[in-house]
Amino acid sequence: MRYKVLTVDDSKTVRIIVKKAFKAFDCEILEAGNGVEGLAVAAKENPDLILLDVTMPVMDGVEMLTKLKSDPALKGIPVIMLTAEGGRDNVLKIAKIGVRDYLVKPFKEEVLIEKCGRVIDLKPLNDGPSKTKSIFDPADILVVEDKPAIVQQIQDGLKHTPWKVRGVSTQGEAIDQCAKQPPDVVLVSLSLPEESAFTLFRLIRTNVKTKYTPVFALVVKTETSQQQQAQTLGFSAIITKPIDTSELESKIAKAMNLDTSQRYYAFETDCLIMRLPENCSPSVLAEAAHYLKPKFSEAVDAGFNKVVIDIHQLRMLHMGVIKLLFQAMQTCRDLAMNFGLVGNAQIISECKGFEDTRGWTFYDSIDDAKANVGRPVAAAPQLAGVS
Amino acid sequence: MPATAEITETLIRDYINRAVTDVFKTMLGREPTFSTQEPRGPGVQLSAPEGHRPQVVGTVGFIGDINGLIYLHLDLAFARLCTCHLLGMTEAELDEAGDEVINDAIGELTNMTVGGFKNGLCDAGYPCKLTIPSILRGSNFSIEPISSAVRRIYYFDCAEHRVVADILMKSDE
Repeated sequence: MRYKVLTVDDSKTVRIIVKKAFKAFDCEILEAGNGVEGLAVAAKENPDLILLDVTMPVMDGVEMLTKLKSDPALKGIPVIMLTAEGGRDNVLKIAKIGVRDYLVKPFKEEVLIEKCGRVIDLKPLNDGPSKTKSIFDPADILVVEDKPAIVQQIQDGLKHTPWKVRGVSTQGEAIDQCAKQPPDVVLVSLSLPEESAFTLFRLIRTNVKTKYTPVFALVVKTETSQQQQAQTLGFSAIITKPIDTSELESKIAKAMNLDTSQRYYAFETDCLIMRLPENCSPSVLAEAAHYLKPKFSEAVDAGFNKVVIDIHQLRMLHMGVIKLLFQAMQTCRDLAMNFGLVGNAQIISECKGFEDTRGWTFYDSIDDAKANVGRPVAAAPQLAGVS
Repeated sequence: MPATAEITETLIRDYINRAVTDVFKTMLGREPTFSTQEPRGPGVQLSAPEGHRPQVVGTVGFIGDINGLIYLHLDLAFARLCTCHLLGMTEAELDEAGDEVINDAIGELTNMTVGGFKNGLCDAGYPCKLTIPSILRGSNFSIEPISSAVRRIYYFDCAEHRVVADILMKSDE
C-alpha cells in the first residue's frame, strides 16, 4: 500500500525538503500552502499522515488542527506538527488538541523520517525494475557478538564470498553502525549480557532504515528457550552454535533474496553446466533444486541442447544427491536435452554400490563431456545423451 | 516593568547565537561562529564595505508580550549556496528556478532562526507569536529604526560569508 503524506506549510522550501526526505520511501507527498487548502486536500485524499506548520496565512495550523479534530471523517488522521513554534506553553496547548508528535524547526530529514516511521510503515522504494542481486554482488554483514572467536569464524567461513563481515561486541556499537551504514543482514548473539540482543532487535525494527533488514539470532543449540523467544519476537532466522558456515551462507543469501543460481548453473559456449559443491547439505540441495527447472528451460530457450552434470567436487554420494541428479536427468529427457556426467573416482565407485546408480557412466573431464555429449551413442558412454 | 527593558543584552545575544547556530548547523551542515565585531549604532549600512554586493535579507517579526522583528542579512552568493543545499539543487537548477526559490528558502531560514529566538523569549515568560516572513533584496540600502526601537546587531561568520542578525524591538513606553 502506498501511503499518502500531506505537508501543510506556507513555505515551498519546507514542502520541497519534506518531499526530498521521503524520496527514498514508497509514499506519495501531497501539498497544501495553508490550513484551508490543507483541510480540502485532507477531505479529498484522506492522507495517512499530516505534517502541519503553525504560522501560515489564511488559516494557521492551530485552527486547521482544531477543525480537523472536530470533523468525524478526518479526526482519525494522525498529525505531526512541523513548525518553528517551539515555546513550551504553545507546544502544550497544541498537543492538547491532539497531535501524534511534535517536531520543531530546524529539523534533520532523518529525524523527520524516524518520527513519521513510528506512525506509518514506511517502506524503502525500489527504483524501478532493478537487477536481482546475486551471490557475486557485495553485501554488508554486521555481526554483534562479544566473543571474537565467533566473529572470526564467521569471517573465515564467508571469506570466499564478496561479503564484508563487520564485527561489534555491544548493542551500542551495533546501533551506531546501523545508523552510519545500515547493513544488509545483522547477526546477533543471544548470549549478549542483560538480554541486550532482544533490545537491539526491537531497536532495529523501530528504525525506518533497518526495519526490513534481516536479523539472525546466534544461539547455542541447546538453548531452546532463547530460540523460542527469538522466534516469537520475529528474528528472521536462528543460527545455532557451533556454526555451520555453509548453512549460514545459504540462509544469508535466502534472506537477502539473492540469486544463487550461479553457484550451481553456468552457461558455457554451447552447453549448460550443472555443478554440485563438495558438501551437499539439505539446504544446498534445496537451493540447487529450486533453480533446476528454470535454468534448464532458460538453456533450451537460449538454444542450448546439452547439459554437463559436474559432480567431481562432491565428497559423498547420498540419497539427497541421487534424487537431485535423477530430477536433473528427467528434466533433460522432458526437454529433449542431451546430458553427461563428470565425477571423481570415489563418487564413480560409490555409484556402483547403489542399484539405481549402478548403470551411470561418466566422462573423464568437463572438456570431454562438453565435446562428446550429444554425439552418436557409439562414441558416448552409457546414459550420456538422451533425446 | 516593561518587557524590553527586562531582557538583558546578554540574554538576547544568547538566544540569537543559539538560534543562528542551530539553524545553520541543522539545515545547512555549517557551523557559524559568533563574531566579536562590535555592534554598530542605528542607521548602519549593512552591505559589504567593498562596493555594493547584492544582499538577500529575510525578515520575520514576533508579536505578543514583546514585539519586534529580526532581519537576517546574507550576501546573494551565500543565499544561493544555502538554497542549493536546502533544496538539493545544483546552481544551474537554481538559475532555472529563479529568485522566487531563493526568497522562499531564505524566508524559511529566517523563520526558523526567529522561531528559535522567539521560543527562548516564550520560555523566559514573554509569550509571542511569529509573523509571516518577507524578503528584502538590493545592493545598496540601509535599514533605519524609529527612534523608540531598541536595536541589537550581531555578526556571524559562516563558510567565508558573513551573516548579520539585526534585531529591532519595540520599547515599551
